[in-house]
Amino acid sequence: MRRIGLLVVILAAQFAALEAGLRWYGGSEASPAFQQLFMQDPRVGHRLRPGAAARYTTAEFSTDISINAQGVRDDAPIGPKAVGERRVVILGDSLVLSVQVDLAQTFAKQLERGLNAGDGATTWRVINAGVQGYGPVDEWLFYQHVVDGLEPDLVLTMVFVGNDAVEAYDKQTWIDTDGPPAAATADAAASLARRVTRSSMVLQNVRLRWDLLKSAVEGPGAERPLTSYLASPPPDVINGLAVSRRAFGLIAERAAARGARTGLVLMPARFQTDDADYERLRAIVAAGGDTLVRDAATERFRDALTPLALPMLDLLPILRKQPDRHALFFQENVHLTPRGHTVVGEALVAFVRSLTPPGD
Amino acid sequence: MVFTSLHFVAFFVVVYALYRAVPHRAQNWLLVVASYYFYAAWDWRFLSLLIGSTVVDYAVAQAIERADDPVRRKRLLWLSLAFNFGILGFFKYFNFFADGLAAMFATIGWRLDPVTVNVILPIGISFYTFMTVSYVIDVYRREIPASRSLLDFAVFVAYFPHLVAGPILRASLLLPQIATVRRISRTQITEGLWLMAWGVFQKMFVADNLAALVDAVFGGGASPRGGDVLVATWAFAFQIYGDFAGYSNMARGMSKLMGIELNVNFRFPYFVTSPQAFWRHWHISLSTWLRDYLYIPLGGNRGTSFETKRNLFLTMVLGGLWHGAAWTFVLWGVYQGLVLGVARGIADLRIPLRHTWQKVALGVLMFHVTCYGWLIFRAQSASQVVDFTGRLATDLAMTATTWQTLLVPFLLIVSPLLVVHIYQARHGDELAVLQLPIAVRYAVYGAVGWLVLVFGNFQGGEFIYFQF
Repeated sequence: MRRIGLLVVILAAQFAALEAGLRWYGGSEASPAFQQLFMQDPRVGHRLRPGAAARYTTAEFSTDISINAQGVRDDAPIGPKAVGERRVVILGDSLVLSVQVDLAQTFAKQLERGLNAGDGATTWRVINAGVQGYGPVDEWLFYQHVVDGLEPDLVLTMVFVGNDAVEAYDKQTWIDTDGPPAAATADAAASLARRVTRSSMVLQNVRLRWDLLKSAVEGPGAERPLTSYLASPPPDVINGLAVSRRAFGLIAERAAARGARTGLVLMPARFQTDDADYERLRAIVAAGGDTLVRDAATERFRDALTPLALPMLDLLPILRKQPDRHALFFQENVHLTPRGHTVVGEALVAFVRSLTPPGD
Repeated sequence: MVFTSLHFVAFFVVVYALYRAVPHRAQNWLLVVASYYFYAAWDWRFLSLLIGSTVVDYAVAQAIERADDPVRRKRLLWLSLAFNFGILGFFKYFNFFADGLAAMFATIGWRLDPVTVNVILPIGISFYTFMTVSYVIDVYRREIPASRSLLDFAVFVAYFPHLVAGPILRASLLLPQIATVRRISRTQITEGLWLMAWGVFQKMFVADNLAALVDAVFGGGASPRGGDVLVATWAFAFQIYGDFAGYSNMARGMSKLMGIELNVNFRFPYFVTSPQAFWRHWHISLSTWLRDYLYIPLGGNRGTSFETKRNLFLTMVLGGLWHGAAWTFVLWGVYQGLVLGVARGIADLRIPLRHTWQKVALGVLMFHVTCYGWLIFRAQSASQVVDFTGRLATDLAMTATTWQTLLVPFLLIVSPLLVVHIYQARHGDELAVLQLPIAVRYAVYGAVGWLVLVFGNFQGGEFIYFQF
């Protein structure tokens, strides 16, 4: 009995030491330093916390992240629009927010520099309005309640073809309720367990590994985002495409009402440009008895969004034709590398110029 | 079915429960059936090769033992060698040599269209081939008797703890344990459980986490600085060690639980001060195999100094080629052969090391000599070796990014391993942890458990040595 007591005391002390060490070191999206970049907002669910800052370090990158007073990633606040200033807002998810690279390396800032290099008469301001975990419905709510006030002249919506359909499907009711539903109170114990787990970095790591073990037991098959690429996609993908079209249509309508234009940018998933990653995922999906069609999600979004009659830029052929296309995304992390941002930034400069000719 | 997968855990629980419940003869049947299932889980098509190798070498060894005529004995030995190395050579080196020959003729303007076959490497073939070859040679040399039981011999060849990544066991060690009734002691269970836990830690915490650092630099997607290359090479040194030593420890641990002792395959190889000592501490079962069945038959150190160095060189080049059909492995073997030759020349000078700091400095130098070999081993191509060597020579400064993204994670991952290793090495016993006071021992168990649970890689990464 004394031995068990001794073991319990030692394990508890080690738990506390690990928790303290993890909180001090950070290095994970579960760390308090990273999590405090976000806040709850009853109008949009979650968003970036105005004035927050954090240093985010992993094995592949180390970046400083600053959120400005308006709640978007930027070092400087966004005040009233000056004479001769034109603004581009880029809506999207973590691929737009880009915590993996420094602010100056993001394609948003590269677009801003590219536009300002071309036309001395106009000062361009490009606003990175990406938020981790957002899908089409969140982007509509964020645009409506936050970004609209930033007076954009052009709204670019970055559509991540990998998971936007399923994310839109999950939140389709939020459009009609104009925001997320009130928190459910059904299962107090489960809710408490979730809160306790979220409050501990050790427990969050344990839960992540538990999920991996569970998925290993459940056997191979397509992860949910990959279902957008299956030869026969499930209904939530088909319906999600329709919800996405509705959300992007609402953004375009509201922008037009304010005199702004809207453009759509289709962003592919890493495996669409990285051959080794594609082979790996194809085998996983095949082991589950399904067929992974490499460009299916891009084609489905293109078809679904064409009726909106909005200008559309498909980044897939641009990224795929790069000789170093395996270097466009991080290996441990599916987001763009600095090189990937450069390629996307250059493509966006040409796209925006085509939408806003001089004198327009 | 890697040792760290749920599939294997379920497999082992079922096999072990049955193993403890049945008598000796049935245990051996169980081990054969379980081992063949284990192998078939990788690729059932190659099970026939494993069984074929078992039957042929069992029969040849019997025939060698019965034969008195030296010429007939030698012919039988050559038959076995041709069979085993023929299969190994075909599956492992066919395309390598076919492509190499075509490239060589192309340089003089001759276009050759070699028959290329999409040859898949049967997992573990290098390991079990070396085991059966050593068995037949030992019988030929009359060092051991031929096995009288095909069942026992089949267990020796296919015993699942060592089957796909070693250790490369000798028949003199394993066959007697298979043939006799096994009694499992409490000490074996304690040691077995510790070795399995320590092996899981070495694989899932150390090796699989270091893999991300290594791949970020060696993956070919980035243009690293020399400092990045240096830290990534250190990381690979510990990744390959954690991966392979972890597998060996898990194999030894689960085998102890079944009452069967396997060789120690690694003994603190990065704490040595000479290349000769490194090969006495790294992949010991392969080093001793190469020594006994290649280096000594070539003449060993019985001839002139030049002949000894030549024998060392040839042994290491062939040892490099054993690892795989790629020029980087050949280059690695050449490097190891040269290093051993140079070290032997330095050892002949008999320079005394009087101070501790001299030994520490020599240890650090030796670690980096080993690391350069690992750079060659890990590189994706010979041109990457040249590129990275240039970066190491001209651009060794550590940038802030190198510190934050490579060096600090590397030190955090490797430190717990080194703390335990230093203690074990000081006591000359890799099981020294089990002799610690109870509170300290529990702290070590707890730390190993927490680190695996919180930071371990649960994605089921394969073991590097499976590819050999």
